[in-house]
Amino acid sequence: MPSRTPSPAPAIDFPAVPLTSVPVGAVATLHEVRDAESRTLLRSLGLHDACVMRLCKVGDPCIVQVRATRIGLSSAVARCLYVVPEADVKK
Amino acid sequence: MSTAVAPDVEPLVAAAPVRRIALIGNPNTGKTTLFNVLCGARAKTSNFPGTTTSVRTGRAEAAGTLPALEVLDLPGVYDLDFEAPEALIATTALAGGRQPAPDAVVVIADACNLSRNLVLAAQLLARGTRIVLALNMVDLAGRRGIVIDVPRLSQRLGVPVIPLVARSGRGVDDLRRALDTERAVRPADLPPANAAAHDASEWAHAVATSVTSGSDPALSLDRVTERMDYILTHPVFGLAAFMGIMGTLFWILFALATVPMDLIETTFAQLGQLVERTLPDGPVRDLVAQGIVGGIAGTVVFLPQICLLFFLITLLEDTGYLARAAFVMDRLLARFGLPGHAFVPLLTSHACALPGIMSTRLIPDRRDRLATILVAPFMSCSARLPVYVLLTTLLFAGHPAAAGLVFAGCYLLGAGAALFTAKLFGSTILKGRPRPMILELPSYKRPSVRNALLTARDQGLAFLTTAGTVIVAICIVMWWLSAYPHVDTPARAVELRSAATAVGLAPEQAEALRADADAVQTRASQIGSFAGRIGHTLEPAFRPLGFDWQLTVGVLTSFLAREVFVSTMSVLAAGQAATDVDEGVVTRIRSMTRDDGTPVFTPATAASALVFFVLAMQCLPTLTVTRKETGSVKYAALQLFYMTGLAYVAAFLLYQGLRASGVA
Repeated sequence: MPSRTPSPAPAIDFPAVPLTSVPVGAVATLHEVRDAESRTLLRSLGLHDACVMRLCKVGDPCIVQVRATRIGLSSAVARCLYVVPEADVKK
Repeated sequence: MSTAVAPDVEPLVAAAPVRRIALIGNPNTGKTTLFNVLCGARAKTSNFPGTTTSVRTGRAEAAGTLPALEVLDLPGVYDLDFEAPEALIATTALAGGRQPAPDAVVVIADACNLSRNLVLAAQLLARGTRIVLALNMVDLAGRRGIVIDVPRLSQRLGVPVIPLVARSGRGVDDLRRALDTERAVRPADLPPANAAAHDASEWAHAVATSVTSGSDPALSLDRVTERMDYILTHPVFGLAAFMGIMGTLFWILFALATVPMDLIETTFAQLGQLVERTLPDGPVRDLVAQGIVGGIAGTVVFLPQICLLFFLITLLEDTGYLARAAFVMDRLLARFGLPGHAFVPLLTSHACALPGIMSTRLIPDRRDRLATILVAPFMSCSARLPVYVLLTTLLFAGHPAAAGLVFAGCYLLGAGAALFTAKLFGSTILKGRPRPMILELPSYKRPSVRNALLTARDQGLAFLTTAGTVIVAICIVMWWLSAYPHVDTPARAVELRSAATAVGLAPEQAEALRADADAVQTRASQIGSFAGRIGHTLEPAFRPLGFDWQLTVGVLTSFLAREVFVSTMSVLAAGQAATDVDEGVVTRIRSMTRDDGTPVFTPATAASALVFFVLAMQCLPTLTVTRKETGSVKYAALQLFYMTGLAYVAAFLLYQGLRASGVA
């Protein structure tokens, strides 16, 4: 597995959780990518900080939808995406 | 959907004899489809991100009396700042590297996914590039209830916006006209070129939202897509679907390709006979009939399978399935140190390793790419097929079911060797694990038969111009090596011919004596020819595999292109080139004998040769492409020596094992 360099996460009011722990159908905001090697590719696909995504499928691959783009992610990558579920934000 | 908008501004390059137009866009936006429509042909479209891996050019007509267009088809890119080969190729072409910079840039955007596609347009506008926005797939957007206000979008971006359907050609004439009126009025609120990705994305989203009504694109994907993705990427259902689809693909390949292959074989056989009847007896007739016609036949006969496989793969790509299949295969391939991205190159290599290796450019990680390149030639390509057919037929004459099983086993052996090798290299010279997959999953679409046909034609032509020239050249050289130098007629042949002229001999007996005399003379010519001498010299190295000097010659000549093996053995068997594996050739080759009179092809020898040909690196063009794609001769050398060494060891173990088991 390539090295994944954790980057300092910005302070937030709500706890960020791995994407893999979010239920299917949930909408979440991307808070942090803890995989330095994948960050650029994710960003080019629209998965940048603070983007809103919908989780379409869990497992391997994990499928998310960012606006109209469906993106397949290996579970190894999905575990490195920390998101804030929309329900938490609305609390 | 609104009509085309082409703001009335001054022509950009009115006097230029040819205008250079670059097509750029995200993967899967129909960029290459548009290129095909504009230029008529010559490019491959893909639903699997990154298949267009270099700049392609074509000529297209402009609108009215305007100068002709030279169209550049750039690789699909999401982000010009992304440090990936395709982004580097695109930015270099846009800046004007070896060729002049384009006069105009057409940004192709997916109307169903406008906000993300506008990020690329924003980057180009921020750099001051003059663009035309081609809003593609407006028909699909319409069906999804997405309505885009094109005039407003044009006004917002400050560039012409042309709605079109590249697949059907709708709107393409509007685009041609707009190419002469492009303008670049930088939007006031456009983030600067060095802005954060988030800013560009937010700007693109704001623009897209302000011009889009109807269904929200983010929510417009129907339940069918969700369900299909669930099934096609499921660990069990997805694998079952994958096996079903691939099984169907290969069944169609073998079922349909035999018809044109038989036709080609028959046609060339008749052509050879025509040449022999027409030209006067002598070396020129032999060269044309046996060397040139035989060589061309040996090349062209593979075209149906290569074209058909690419046709089917392109159809699959167009549907959007291959991106899902890559994830299914990722689970298997990752265990052996290969990325899921390797799936398409490995599948393509079943037709020909050359395009398979070239398509590894879509693999983002260099280690993963090297691993895929090194193992791709293990896949059983079309060139191996006649060898498999010949040797399995020799092994199981009269038992087609057994021959078919062994034939399928050859494919599995090749694939197994590739996985084993990937695992071995992954723990030694290419240490590390494949990068986890991140891949856009394109929308499911009805495939374009036209694009598939164009791709099949392109790949067929590429095969003919690369491997084909090598194969024909080898056949001619092989004919010369096996025909020269001429040796004196053996005394035994003279005696037999003399006996055939004896008075009172029945015509059948005389004919039999003359046939014996010809056989003796042919044998003497073979042994005395350059090929015979080389074979005898190198025979000791291949003797442990059960090969005699004739099989040794077959292995040596097929080093440059393995399909030459059949024609070489046919030349050696009868002194007559025949490249088709019909009953006559098989019978002739089966009857070949060693110098001691024993058969050349015993079951043990045929099995040993079969394993050798499955595993050995016998394709000079592949080595050339490996060197080019890896940028180093060492990887080509590694591929050559590793594969050939593995083939030698495996064939040796099998031959000696069969002999020890009592199989002759």
